[in-house]
Amino acid sequence: MTANRQKGNMKAHNAQCTCWNCPAIDLTGKVDFRACGQSREVFTEGLDEDSEAYIVAECKRRKELGLFDPMTITFEECPEWKSTPYGYLLKNMRVMILGIDGYLGWTLALWLGSLGCEVSGVDNFSRRDWVKERGAHTVVPISRMTERLHAAKEVLGININFRQMDILKERDKLREFIEEVKPEAIVHYGECPSAPYSMIDIDHATFVQQNNVLGTLGLLFTMRDLVPESSLIKLGTMGEYGTPLTGRPLFEGVFPANAVLHWDDREWSLGGELTPRDPVSFYHVSKVQDTYNVYEACKYWWLRSYDVMQGVIYGVNTPQVATDTRLRTRLDIDEWFGTVINRFVAQAVIGFPLTMYGAGEQIRGFIGLEDAMQCMTQLIAHPPEPGQYDVVNQMSGFYSINHLAHTVAKVASRDFAIPVTIQRVENPRVESDIHPFEPIYNKLPDQFGFKPQVTLEGEIYRMLELLTQPHIKQRIEEKKHLILPRTWWSGIKKQVETLEVLEEIKYEPSSTTYRP
Amino acid sequence: MSQVLRLTDRNFEEEVFQSQIPVLVEFSASWCVPSQQMKPMLEAVAKEYAGKLKLGNLNVDQNPKTASQYHIMGCPTFILLNSGKAISRRVGAQSKKQLLEMISLT
Repeated sequence: MTANRQKGNMKAHNAQCTCWNCPAIDLTGKVDFRACGQSREVFTEGLDEDSEAYIVAECKRRKELGLFDPMTITFEECPEWKSTPYGYLLKNMRVMILGIDGYLGWTLALWLGSLGCEVSGVDNFSRRDWVKERGAHTVVPISRMTERLHAAKEVLGININFRQMDILKERDKLREFIEEVKPEAIVHYGECPSAPYSMIDIDHATFVQQNNVLGTLGLLFTMRDLVPESSLIKLGTMGEYGTPLTGRPLFEGVFPANAVLHWDDREWSLGGELTPRDPVSFYHVSKVQDTYNVYEACKYWWLRSYDVMQGVIYGVNTPQVATDTRLRTRLDIDEWFGTVINRFVAQAVIGFPLTMYGAGEQIRGFIGLEDAMQCMTQLIAHPPEPGQYDVVNQMSGFYSINHLAHTVAKVASRDFAIPVTIQRVENPRVESDIHPFEPIYNKLPDQFGFKPQVTLEGEIYRMLELLTQPHIKQRIEEKKHLILPRTWWSGIKKQVETLEVLEEIKYEPSSTTYRP
Repeated sequence: MSQVLRLTDRNFEEEVFQSQIPVLVEFSASWCVPSQQMKPMLEAVAKEYAGKLKLGNLNVDQNPKTASQYHIMGCPTFILLNSGKAISRRVGAQSKKQLLEMISLT
């Protein structure tokens, strides 16, 4: 391996995976998933290699192989798995995206479509409705779904099989669609992704929890019945962990084996136990409940899932969405659906002081849009083993809010000649403004070949390029009254007040200052 | 290359019973989260003890014969064998210290 690495000729991260990981096989023989191997009392004397007591594989794509040992063929050897920059990928892999109309769902659909996947997806357009309900809009205009599908076909040659439905309220429809498509991987983006939205009032809190938790629970039962061999890539969030003040590392969902509990002169390995969660809103609680439901489903039914704890996402760019204005993905900047970097860039563009909540020393993990797409592809390419539940922390770095504000100010001022002011406002959330933060995020780079490509300054530059276009700038102006937060965790009803305005930040223009 | 040997019903006799050095076998499963978490540590121990101790991993779902012979009731189960004879057995995730204590029994 070392020699290969030196030659820059590293094997793909999934080259050595076998049919045991592959969604294209049916397992037959003694697939004892109900017992989950907990009970092996019956002494099976006289087992031989042909016995039905063994698990054997039958390939749905290569029927000619007959019944065989699922550990014998690797992805590297199988002609159905084709080499791509993100590892071997199943030829015409059928990937279903729940929430395909959203910021991430649409971006991933085009990304996977351009890699040759057969993409299908569902959405009930609720993200459009929620944003509209708050009186806001996406500042990057997006097309209606019919137009999007048409443009994907026309510009990129990608056919997307789309079906409109609510996965919570129309479970039968989801069943039908899954039965019809038989997806080999399901990416679950179909949840309400906003902490402040869940904190507006009791109606919003119950809506978010029902929609997210029960929607996912229904999906798990459907997968059990129809596609237990398919992998579920489930979106969670780093916010499930919160920022515990003990300062202990934020492991990737479960404790590693060398994490030890010392008590009363004895020690135990905590290896494999779910780490404590400390969610930071009722939305985050819904994600924690999802984590437990998915974990249990894998345990009870041999479902296979990666639970992705995604850092705060930012950015507007992938090669596909940038091809045509009709293919653009949404970008929200309102207090409910705008993530922090996206919002800061929009604020900078219209000369609205960047708003840090409280001390501005809160630290979070972040990941650029394009890097998130890379990770998702690498996870899809490396399906978990039967019954395997694993968690990855999907982020490429961590920064304080203060650092982010200053970075946006620096790029805007230096490369776009836009002077930026930063202000501190009251923090409407219940959180520690200053806290320790030690996330562990090794699995994606170490086991899945993730190499971050997006740099913070680089992506902020690309966002500024797009957001300074007059028609988009105009759309930001129209909704600037929705930037300052009004949703207090405490329930008080008022807009936050400014605590302090920092000095204007002005960098000398760079020689390559952008002039639209 | 993995330092931990993949054991099966087929090679168990040769790799474990006929081994010249003691063998520590982990009975594990794909669905077992603690087993997945033990992997890096077992690799490290296998490397550290190369030539003195063999480390093997047996998937209980794929190899029901050996799993039932050893009455595996939970994963992971660790069994230390010397000349084919089980000399120690532990169930559940182990810290490195606990694993080394077990190994020291050889």
